[in-house]
Order: sequence, then C-alpha cells, then structure tokens
Amino acid sequence: MTETTTAPPHDIPAAVEFQEASDGIECYRLTENDLRILLLPQDGAPVATSMVTYHVGSRDERTGHTGATHMLEHLMFKGTERYHKRKGTSIFGTLQRVGAKVNASTWLDRTNYYEMLPTQHLPLALDVEADRMRGALLDPGDVEDERTVILNERDRNQNDPVSRLFDEVWGAAFVAHPYHHPTIGWKSDIESITPDGLREYYDTFYWPNNATLSIVGQFDRPEVLAEVAERFGQIDAAPHEIPQVTTAEPEQSGPRRVTVRQDGQLGAVLMGFKSPPALDEDSDVLDVLARILASGKKSRLYRRCTDQGLTSDVFGINFRLRDPGLFSVFAYLAPDQDHETVEDAIRETIVGVQEDGVTQEELDRARSQLRAQIAFDRDGPMRVASQLNEALAAGDWKLYTQYLDRLDQITVQDVQRVAQTYLTSDKMTVGQYVPSEA
Amino acid sequence: MSEIPPTSNGAATPDLASRIQDRSAGPGRLLTLRTAVDDIVSWRGSFVANPDPAAGDPLLQKLTVSLLDKGTKQRDRFELAQVLEECGAKLDVSSDGLFVEVSGRALVDDVPRVMDVMAEMLRAPAFNPEEFEKARAQVAADIQRRMDKTSAQASTALSQRLFPDGHPNHRPAPQTALDRLQRLSIEDVRDYHATHVGSTEWTLAVVGDLQHDPVATVVAEALDGWAPHDAPAAYAPDAAPADPGRSEVPMPDKSNVDVRLGHAVPIRRDHDDYSALYVGNYILGGDFAARLMSTIRDEKGLTYNIRSSLSGVTTRYAGSWQTSITLSHDAVDEGIAATKEVLRRFVEEGATEDELDAKKTTITGSYTVGLATTERLAQSILTNAERGFDVSYLDEFPEEIRALTLDDVNDAIARYLDPDALHKALAGTQPEPVGAGEGPTRRPE
Repeated sequence: MTETTTAPPHDIPAAVEFQEASDGIECYRLTENDLRILLLPQDGAPVATSMVTYHVGSRDERTGHTGATHMLEHLMFKGTERYHKRKGTSIFGTLQRVGAKVNASTWLDRTNYYEMLPTQHLPLALDVEADRMRGALLDPGDVEDERTVILNERDRNQNDPVSRLFDEVWGAAFVAHPYHHPTIGWKSDIESITPDGLREYYDTFYWPNNATLSIVGQFDRPEVLAEVAERFGQIDAAPHEIPQVTTAEPEQSGPRRVTVRQDGQLGAVLMGFKSPPALDEDSDVLDVLARILASGKKSRLYRRCTDQGLTSDVFGINFRLRDPGLFSVFAYLAPDQDHETVEDAIRETIVGVQEDGVTQEELDRARSQLRAQIAFDRDGPMRVASQLNEALAAGDWKLYTQYLDRLDQITVQDVQRVAQTYLTSDKMTVGQYVPSEA
Repeated sequence: MSEIPPTSNGAATPDLASRIQDRSAGPGRLLTLRTAVDDIVSWRGSFVANPDPAAGDPLLQKLTVSLLDKGTKQRDRFELAQVLEECGAKLDVSSDGLFVEVSGRALVDDVPRVMDVMAEMLRAPAFNPEEFEKARAQVAADIQRRMDKTSAQASTALSQRLFPDGHPNHRPAPQTALDRLQRLSIEDVRDYHATHVGSTEWTLAVVGDLQHDPVATVVAEALDGWAPHDAPAAYAPDAAPADPGRSEVPMPDKSNVDVRLGHAVPIRRDHDDYSALYVGNYILGGDFAARLMSTIRDEKGLTYNIRSSLSGVTTRYAGSWQTSITLSHDAVDEGIAATKEVLRRFVEEGATEDELDAKKTTITGSYTVGLATTERLAQSILTNAERGFDVSYLDEFPEEIRALTLDDVNDAIARYLDPDALHKALAGTQPEPVGAGEGPTRRPE
C-alpha cells in the first residue's frame, strides 16, 4: 500500500507549512502566498530537477486568443530585469552555462518550466523561476520576434499529416469545450495576439497560488525549503480569483468523421472516444484497457492488425485530462492496406472486449507493465517530475503516487464495463489521413 | 549518498572508473556499475557486424535485426513477448552503423530470464518465411514514413553529397532502398545472420541495482559458446571529395523547409584536436544559448530551431560538420543567408574567451546531468568502449574540456571548418520555384 502521512518532518523553515506526504513525495505550502511545493529526495547522482507547473493551459484561452498560453511560454524566456540578454544574463545562457537541461512545454491543462542540473546550482534555477513568475518583461519587440518563431513551429507541425489528423479529430470531437483548438493556436490568432493581450493573460494566471514547484533529486530538504521560502516567499498571491473553465462539452450523440488529405505515402486512422476526467476511477481502467489493446506483441490490436499485416504500428492512448478527453486508438496503415479494413479490424477487436471481456492473464500483464513503468520512472529525477506534472495538470498530484494501489482494485469485469460504456459509436470520432497521391 | 561526488573546485567529476567492474564474461567484455537506484537494471550491448555499405548491407542488416524478436528455434514471437511483457521488461535490438546494438531494462529479479531471451534472439532466430514477409513490409513502411519527413529527406540528400556509397554515413535515396528491399530474400537474411552476427567485439554495459558477480554469471551462462563471425571490415572510411553543391528534394504540401549545410571533417573521434573542435562547434550551435540560436532565432525570429553538430564522427571513419535549420516558405532565402553569415563570421573571428568559459561549464555540467539515469550511464559506458577508450576516459572527459585554451579551440575552428566548402541540401515545398528542397500523438508544444 502507498504510505500517506500527515506527520511533518522536523527542520523545516517557519515560512513553510507541511501538508502531507505520499509514497515518499512531500507536499508543503508557502504560508505567505499559497505556492505549493512538492519534494522527492532521491539517492544517486548529485543532480536535481526543478519544475514550476502553472495551472493554465490552452483550455483557458478564449476565441481569438488561441495559442496565447504557448506564446507566453516562449516569451517567458525573453527575460526579466535581472535575467536578460542585454546584461549578458539571458535565461537560457545563465542556466545552460551551469549544465542545466532547461525547457518548457504547454499543453491543454498546464504550462511547465523545468531545469535539470547539478544540485549545487539548484538555487540558481529557483532564483530564475521566482524572478520570472511576476517579473517577465514581455517586451513588445520580443513579441514580434517570437511570433515568427512560433509560426515556423506551427509550420513544422503542419508538415506532419499525423499532427493535422490529431488536431482535426479533437476539433470535431469537441465543439464547445476549449480542448477543441490546438495548443499552438489557430494561425490567424498567432498572427494577431497583441503584447497587451499577453500581458493581461500573464497577469491573470502567473501567480504563486496558481502554481506548483516540484523538486526531485539529490538535495538537502531544510536547505532547499529555505531557498524556496527566500526566493518565492516575497511574491504576493494573486489579488483576484483565478478564472476557471466552466464550459462542459455537451453529450455526443452520434459518430463523427473527418478526413485529412495531404501528400504522403502511408495512410493512418485515428479513432477517439469520449472518456471520463483523469480523476475518475474509470480512467485508471481505461489505462489498463489501452495496454491490453495495444501495448506489446501480446496485445489484441498488435495480433489482429500489425501481426496480420494490416498496420505497420498501432497505439492505444488514454489522454488523461482534467475534463473529459479522448481515449484513442491510432494506426499507421501498412503498405497497400485500406482505411476501411483497418477500421473494421479495430472495431471488431473492441467489440470482442465488449462482448467477451478480457482474461485475468491480460489484466495481470497490463498491471505488471504499469508497475514496472513506475519503478523505471524513479530512475533519475526527470521522469518523476514529468509524471507529477501531468498529475498536477489533471488536478491531484497523488494521482501519481496512489496509482499502483488503484490498479490493484481493477477487475476483468471493470475492463469490460468501461469498454462497453465509453468505446461506443455514439461517443466516437474517426479521422482518416488519406495520402493525396492514393 | 552521493554516487558522483563534487571535486574540490566545485565542478562535478563522475568518479565512474573506480566503481565500474570490467571483466570477461562469456564471449566478450562485461562492464557493470552499481548505482543507488532501487530495483531496476538497464543495459546496452553491441557487437560489430561489419556490413558492407556499398553492397546495401545496412538495409539487409536492419531487416535481419527486425526479425530477431519474431521467433527463435525454441519459442515463437508471442512466447518471447510473453516473457518480457509479463514482467514489464524492455528489450530492443537495433542496427547502428557498423554495430548491432541491444538495449534492455528490467526489474532486478527479472534480469536472468530477460538476458536468456536476448541471447536466444541473437543466436537462434527462426527466420520464418511468413515473418520475413511481414518484417519486409514493416521496413518498407518505415522507409515510406521517412519519405514524408522533410528533415529525413534533407539529411539523406546531404549525406549523399558528402560520402561515397561505401561509407557508413552515406544514406541511399528512399526509393533506392525500397527497390533494394523488394529484391531481398529470406535466404539473404539467413546468410547475413550466419556471416555477420556473432560475438565479434561483443561488449555489454549493465547499470543499476545489481550485484557484480551474479550479473557476470547470468551473462556468461546466457552467451556461453557464442562464436564470433568472420566478416571483415568492408567500408570506405573517408569522405567523398567534391566541390560544394546543392541538392533539392521537392515535397508538395509542406509548410516548412528543412535545410542542411555541411562538409566532411577529416579528423576522427580519437584525434588530438577533436575536443577543441567539439567545443568550438558547441559555441556555434550546440545549445539554445549558442550563437546560431541566439542570432537566427532569438534576435531575428527566422526559425524555430537551428543547430550545428559534428555528425557521424567515430574512431573508425570520418564524419561531418552540419548545420540544420527549419524555415517557413517566406524565410528560406533570408534564413539561409543569415545562417551563412553567422558561420562565416564565426570561422573568421573565432570564439571569445567568455564563450569558451561558458561552454566549458555547460559541457561539463551537462555531462554530469546526462549521467543521472541507468540508461544513460549504460549507453555512455558502452559508447566509450566501442570507441576503444579506456574506462578512465569517462572520468577524464570533463578535465579534457576544462584544459582547453582559446587558442586550441580557435585553431581547430580555423583548421577544420570552412564556410566556403559547405554543401547544401533542402527538402520541402519552396514557393518559387519548387526544388530550385517514438509514437504519434496530439502533443504538448
């Protein structure tokens, strides 16, 4: 069983309040501004990962302002008064100079900034993150320079028909909820977002009480908490309530279908089914179902599709998001195969689970794979931080630490039930990538 | 407890050599390292296969390797997969130039049975005709997917300008590979396995929550009696001398153009000047703070990504210096011109003392960070061994970087990098005139 405790460690600074611990991960908050702090001390190499997760993603964008979260993420590297290229202290330059692996990413429910670096330089990473939490300059000239960079990033994505296929399927599956639009934004919005608009967005969401700082690796707990308190403790909490998305996607009542035509060689099929929010217990079961369907050569879709020469690759993906998302099956067609044959084979495989269920052996194998995955995640500080990031985005960091316990509760009947409940044609959106030469 | 202690000057030094056990186990060399991680073990192994690039062996090797997990003389493909999937282990065999590489990871208690599967796959594949046809279709699909990628097409086009077809860095055109693939038979695969797969230069690096001696016993038992093959080295080690030129791969329907600029470099990984050239290139285009990203992306906003690298440089054959840039249609000419100007100024003026200082700490720091996982440690130990370097070099590398002077670096830049000798390759849809060029998901940006 995962150990969850509320007994505080001693030797923590006064500005920090211990809240709870789960599976070795300790949760604190800064009393001044409600910044949440997660610590996972590890033995091993003297390196650590520092990551700030802001609870803002492309779900928070309004029409005409799509891509703002991602654009702001880029602008956050352009500098503050203290960390700026003109002073020879650019954020990338400062952090990479000490060997940090540094980057950021934007996704539907969150934005994260991370540094993996030698532990001795952890205070530097904390200083940069604290400084840009409220001190990003968002200079209008920088916005214009970065606009063309992002348009090029978007063009790169558009080169890939599979990237277009995912965007089209999500766009068709969600008509009201902001999961409808791609995280990078519509081209016309990227072209027209103003510096003032980005400033307003930053001032709305970038506050300590809308963020979580995770630190994983080899470090001294009292020292690191003191550093966090010193650097982040002087930032005020937001003077307003953080806005929340209230739009709920209406019930889908029939299958939807999209087609992407683009020059290319091999077609692809994506089948998405409306799935429950990440914190719903059924989402754990769908993780297991994704494994049973498409993870490894013993999986059902590998045997039915890839091993039979219908597909060159097939994947089961349970997108676990804060709001209802899509359970997806994606397949690259093998040469000389057609979309309908592959779709039929996938559907037939799903119907097999719905009608006859799965075996205990399949369930046990899926659980073993997930258990091993959790152990492998503890190899170095970056993977754990990434997993925590997604759990935070979903709404509860303990989604990660209590995962194995929840898996143990799943039965073969549960797997059959979720296949019957969610993988129905009424909840389905199908996309085909059809190479235009074909 | 610290596994990689800091030195007195505050910079991290790995201290790996004293903790790695280096011995013979079965038919080859075994390097084991115990780290503080709990329950898991990762490994990387390789043998030299000596494919003949001019004869198309790399493709045959790829096809042969793809069949190793599709059944052995003892177990079919599903029985093999069952062993791995029941315990959540990973095991992959891949073709990498002159080598065939094996990578694996497992919970520590499962290592013996996964090593058994590994040995069985390498030594006794079934090469079932039905599986051969499926594997050939899979390899064809891989090639066709690469044909859709502007980055792959541009890299292939540049490799053909720089290297003769007998060189390991030369990549055949996709259509050539597809045609060649269709001519291969299962007899070709069986012959290749018989003549190129064996314990020649077999080296295995195992890292994690392990005990050295039991791992050695498991490896020795699993690979006992595995013989080396007799295939001689059959590749051209040097680049193709040619005047600079331009290749274009027109690809309709692409919003973005991938561009490669490059020329061959005459030195290998064990040359005395390599480290200075490596650092020089890093200053130019090794990371986000390097000159190319700083100028072409950060200042001019012309690209999402631009990098330069020393590519395909080994201790056995020559590689190249390459700059890679991605450009939207309306920025192709401006982007290439601006890039060439940065390259020209860099070679003419050299790096500065401050740039050298910064990149020394970047490289030594990121070296430490890069060794934080068992997978990366195993890969580093194996690569070091493949290069023929002593284990102690794993600890000496940071010191070698720190010892470089500005003269060392600028001399190497001036000696080996020549903007006037750059070949150019473009792939994508150009506005006017055209061609005058881990798993799919909706993903975070």
